[in-house]
Amino acid sequence: MTPVIVPPKGGRPRPGIAQLKRTLYFLSRNTLAIIGLAIVLFFVVVALFSLFSPLSNQSLQQYCSVTYGTNGTVGCQPVCTYDASSGPAPAANCYPTYSGNVGFVGPTVDLTHLTGGPLPLGSMQVSSGTNQYYYSIYDGLLKGSAWSLGIAATIVLSGASIGLVLGAIAGYRGGYTDEVIMRFTDIFLSIPGILLVLVIVASFAGYVQGLEGRMLLLVGAFIITWWPFYTRIVRGQVLVTREQKYVEASRASGAGTGRILTKHIIPNSLYPVFVQLSLDVGAIPLLLGGLIFLGFQIYPSPYFPEWGAMSANSVANLQSLIESCQFGACVFPWWQILFPGLTVFLFAISVNFLSDGLRDALDPRLRR
Amino acid sequence: MRMWVYVVRRILLLFPVIIGVMTITFAILSALPIQTHLIATFGASKIPYTPMVPCSDVGQPGNGQCRNPTYFQLVHQLGLDQPIWVQWAEYMKNSLTLNWGTVNYHSNAASAFSLTTSIPVTTVLGWYLPYTLELAALSLIIILAVALPLGNYSAVYRNRPIDQAARVMSFSGFALPGFLLATLVLFAAVILSGGATPTCNSNSTHYFDWYGSWPPFPQCANQPTWIGTYIQTSPTGFPTIDAILHGDWFLAGESVRRMLLPALVIAYGSVAGILRFVRNSMLEVLNLDFIRTARAKGVPETAVVSRHAGRNSLNVTVTVLGLTFAGFIGGFPIIEDVFYLHGVGLLLAKSIQPTQDFGLIFGTTLLFTIIVVVANILVDILYAYLDPRVRLG
Amino acid sequence: MAAAAPVPAVLPVPPPPPPMAAPASLARSPVAATSADAHRIGNVILDVRNLRTYFFTYDGVVKALDGVSFNIRKGETVGLVGETGCGKSVTAFSITKLIADPPGRIMDGMILYKGSNLLWGIEREAKFKPLKGTNRVKVTRRFRRIRQGQDRMTAVRGGGISMIFQEPTSALNPIFSISDQISEALLLHRGIPIVRGLLDASTHDPATIAARSAAIEEAIAGLVKIARQNDPETLRTAADAFGRAAGLPSLGTQAYYIFRSAWADPEAKVPELRKALRRLHLSGLRENYIRHQSRLLELQNELKLAYMLEMRNGKPETRRRRAISAKRWGSKLRGLGYGVWGVRGYVNKALKEETFWETVALLEGVSIANPVQVARGYPHELSGGMLQRVMIAMALSSEPELLIADEPTTALDVTIQAQILELMRDLKSRIGTAILLITHDLGVIAEVADRVCVMYAGNVVEVAPVKELYRHPLHPYTQGLLNSIPRMDQPDKKLESIPGSVPNLIYPPTGCRFHPRCPFAMPKCKEARPPMTVEGEGHQVACYLYNGPVAKG
Repeated sequence: MTPVIVPPKGGRPRPGIAQLKRTLYFLSRNTLAIIGLAIVLFFVVVALFSLFSPLSNQSLQQYCSVTYGTNGTVGCQPVCTYDASSGPAPAANCYPTYSGNVGFVGPTVDLTHLTGGPLPLGSMQVSSGTNQYYYSIYDGLLKGSAWSLGIAATIVLSGASIGLVLGAIAGYRGGYTDEVIMRFTDIFLSIPGILLVLVIVASFAGYVQGLEGRMLLLVGAFIITWWPFYTRIVRGQVLVTREQKYVEASRASGAGTGRILTKHIIPNSLYPVFVQLSLDVGAIPLLLGGLIFLGFQIYPSPYFPEWGAMSANSVANLQSLIESCQFGACVFPWWQILFPGLTVFLFAISVNFLSDGLRDALDPRLRR
Repeated sequence: MRMWVYVVRRILLLFPVIIGVMTITFAILSALPIQTHLIATFGASKIPYTPMVPCSDVGQPGNGQCRNPTYFQLVHQLGLDQPIWVQWAEYMKNSLTLNWGTVNYHSNAASAFSLTTSIPVTTVLGWYLPYTLELAALSLIIILAVALPLGNYSAVYRNRPIDQAARVMSFSGFALPGFLLATLVLFAAVILSGGATPTCNSNSTHYFDWYGSWPPFPQCANQPTWIGTYIQTSPTGFPTIDAILHGDWFLAGESVRRMLLPALVIAYGSVAGILRFVRNSMLEVLNLDFIRTARAKGVPETAVVSRHAGRNSLNVTVTVLGLTFAGFIGGFPIIEDVFYLHGVGLLLAKSIQPTQDFGLIFGTTLLFTIIVVVANILVDILYAYLDPRVRLG
Repeated sequence: MAAAAPVPAVLPVPPPPPPMAAPASLARSPVAATSADAHRIGNVILDVRNLRTYFFTYDGVVKALDGVSFNIRKGETVGLVGETGCGKSVTAFSITKLIADPPGRIMDGMILYKGSNLLWGIEREAKFKPLKGTNRVKVTRRFRRIRQGQDRMTAVRGGGISMIFQEPTSALNPIFSISDQISEALLLHRGIPIVRGLLDASTHDPATIAARSAAIEEAIAGLVKIARQNDPETLRTAADAFGRAAGLPSLGTQAYYIFRSAWADPEAKVPELRKALRRLHLSGLRENYIRHQSRLLELQNELKLAYMLEMRNGKPETRRRRAISAKRWGSKLRGLGYGVWGVRGYVNKALKEETFWETVALLEGVSIANPVQVARGYPHELSGGMLQRVMIAMALSSEPELLIADEPTTALDVTIQAQILELMRDLKSRIGTAILLITHDLGVIAEVADRVCVMYAGNVVEVAPVKELYRHPLHPYTQGLLNSIPRMDQPDKKLESIPGSVPNLIYPPTGCRFHPRCPFAMPKCKEARPPMTVEGEGHQVACYLYNGPVAKG
């Protein structure tokens, strides 16, 4: 008697695709994750726009030309500046500065800035030595999106790749290799994170020249700090996956180490890595801001448009601003703190929502 | 295996890790240009700029370039011309015997803390470490008091409003830049407690009330007589404990109050991770078989959660707390900077820029690392105590 | 109170059972209309009617139970048999409402226990909305109502209906000792008699005290004399006498264990015995605490009765429940002082000792050889067989009307299995509990059960007294099952297997769920589910091969 059971329509999808569809389904039911995803995508679009749009295609070198003094100090000369309080930009690549003792320009709701008008989000001041620079917050945030996202993505992806490779090797091989790699990882894990970054950047700052050099140093320091976390995660996951029956079956049917690693072990270890990855992407602009707040000159110019830098500079100025405000009536420059801070906060929290949604969607223990 | 065997094994593992860390710091140190070392030790003014000078300056024949005797004298004085493994051995010996060098009184840190003579790094660290430890302890208490009940409620009322609200709150704590929150909290406290008008040394006295440490100007605030010039306290070095030992409850309260705002800021940032962990561990326990048995016995739901599930989810929570505490010791440079709390984080922050003080930098690094490693081992031992199955491996 | 829940259209609706005449009295629902059963009609303690439990998963709706009906009479052992995945455990969990709520839901049905419908209020606990284009259903759960439903079940769980589970090694809380866990059950369900007993035994009336002391001294002397004889039986009797003299039976158990190994020098143990007697002298604080506990237990009992009343009448007794809860909160507040760290341990000591020795007596009852060590020990120190005995002790401590045993011996080896079954038979004859034994092992059923229900893919396909089932299995599935067992008297018999495999419960077969594998399938079998028909005394079958009268109820 042939069994008469109605199969699901459409045939059976491949397991990988089915898993992906499942994950997306659960993500879509999580409102916070959707909000997070939307905001993150928005920022990504903004970053791409600021990189490729014809309106603001200034590369960093055009903000200022960096000069190095004889004893290691760094200076910055704006290439083309115009006095924004007295008229529109004379050329497309000119950078606005503001003179006069009303150094603070509050926000206006006027989007004509896109074609060279006044500032929609207000201006921000940064001191470098005896120079005061004022620049547009809107401008900075826009260009900063590319920098923040780019730096964060680079650091996290590199760290994750290194961690994936090392963790997979350590977890799969086991034994002596495992011990050696884990001890090595433990050593790096023992040094508290921000400390290691500080130490590396402080020590090697004298070696590097130029914007690229400094950025490489910064990114490199972060990668050196970050890879142990991923190694540990991947190793833990590989240890579990290694014991699964399908790996044993695969080995019994003749698959070599490479094939097993690429086809079974690594794809199954990716999920916690994704979750951690998304969390770290949000945390890095905050850490960069923290470094700047402590006074670190990790960027070539004091008004480098990166979100963390902007919010840190504004907060670092806060105390002196309040003091100076006490001796005479002045406007408390709330926009300098609010807008950069809000941007970083929005980015970090939406990434967090997304990562949380991913974790819930990928957790096999939650009954579905 | 027996408990003490496990303990001994874990402690023995401590040494390779510490030696590894010291090797790494040594590697970084030795990668620095010799110039930096010289400047750091002797001051920029005394260093001849180049190691080689034209022969005519020195009066020696040769191919036009001659070794600068002062330069190489100074290099030899610092021992930087020896082979690398000799330097490594020397460094190891010094580190392990706690001879971590002296504070460089040319540096920014020294001037910030009014250190005018060559005080050993270990002494300075000993002054500042208790403040960081007390801050970490207070933060931990606050985190415990918030994250444990909130995490348990989030697990029991999964995906209901309280879970969502706790999640959003903890995420906002994670996403806010620490310096932003710290500064805002400090100024809010100052303004709320009476205003920011300056009455003493261009700052308001209320500002000094919420400041992390006693202000350096004796006329602005009441400093207890037993707090010395370099803010060392006696006899233990921990401000609150010393105040209690002196019987001075008011000052103990003051000391705690100064740490309260920084601890709140730290806790707000850290609750996210721990909340998540408590929630997940509780969820896992609630799915176990004996919970079902308890329900089948007729135990009311509140007792099932609090008695049966609660005690069981505590094991893993303790581990996480221990690890968080270890992570704390990474120092809170930013928080201590904002609140000017005389802790090791601030020491590190001041010693890094603009003129580096390598003695302090690497001394602090080593100290933090040792604390983290020791904390990790203590957590492992505690976990083995709570869960006998762990001792098998 | 028998209205069916509104069923969403996309979910396949089984054919509704034939319309039922309104039962004359809820306690006497007619089950099988044969004369031989007439005298037992009044004895039905559990009546499951048309139980439907679905699990709402990502892959679709798993229709685990689709109209399960059976009943259990007082004192009888009913076996629930079927393959893995046929829904036996789900049935057990549905009865006590322990189904994991996301993703499962009890959709429909009635479970009548002592006249109360345990599934009252189910329809208001969730709303269902089928999603177009997929086979998923969106379930909106009303958590407050679900929580209320669970609270209502505390009236029944453990006290009236107890359960034991499949894996004894993980079924007990690892951080509490055995005696702690059994004491919890004891206090919940037999708390009032225990507390009253303790209070009565610790009376302050001087006349009673005087009389008692005399009796106690006499009993002690007797004990010492008998202990020297090293005879457990007489020692037991003497110890019981001592317990009666002292006014507290647990003291008898304690005396027995104190003197059990002291045949060489019983005199040395007398101080220990006197120390145990101090339990009776309750200080003021302890007595107050015990009265406080007694009050709490009484209020808890009232609450349970209110819940049972709700389920019986189908009307919420909110006012009464709120009043009781308010009184409970009042009591708890007054007893807040006892919660201070350190105080609780002191005031609780007498009660704890009392329940400890009651636990020891219970463990004796389940044939555990060294009950004192076991009671003091922890679950991870015991083997599976011992733990299952402990579970049985815990479940039977409240003398329930019904014991649901979910595959109790599956995780144990065969020799232990035999012991456990022997124990269950013995307890059944002593206490008179009805047992719902769930298993896939037909041999176990043959040993222990009085009646058997055979389940397949979420439906009950045959119900019969056990001998009848083995002699004349009617349903093709039952026949297939019995054919696949090796028999001692037919050593060359070929072991037949049933072709095909268990159906996917997300897309179950239409009509009779067994028809794809049935050798006798007819076109009629595909269309509609066959109703249960009566084919003999107490023998019912759901198959179109038979044309008996349709069973009512």
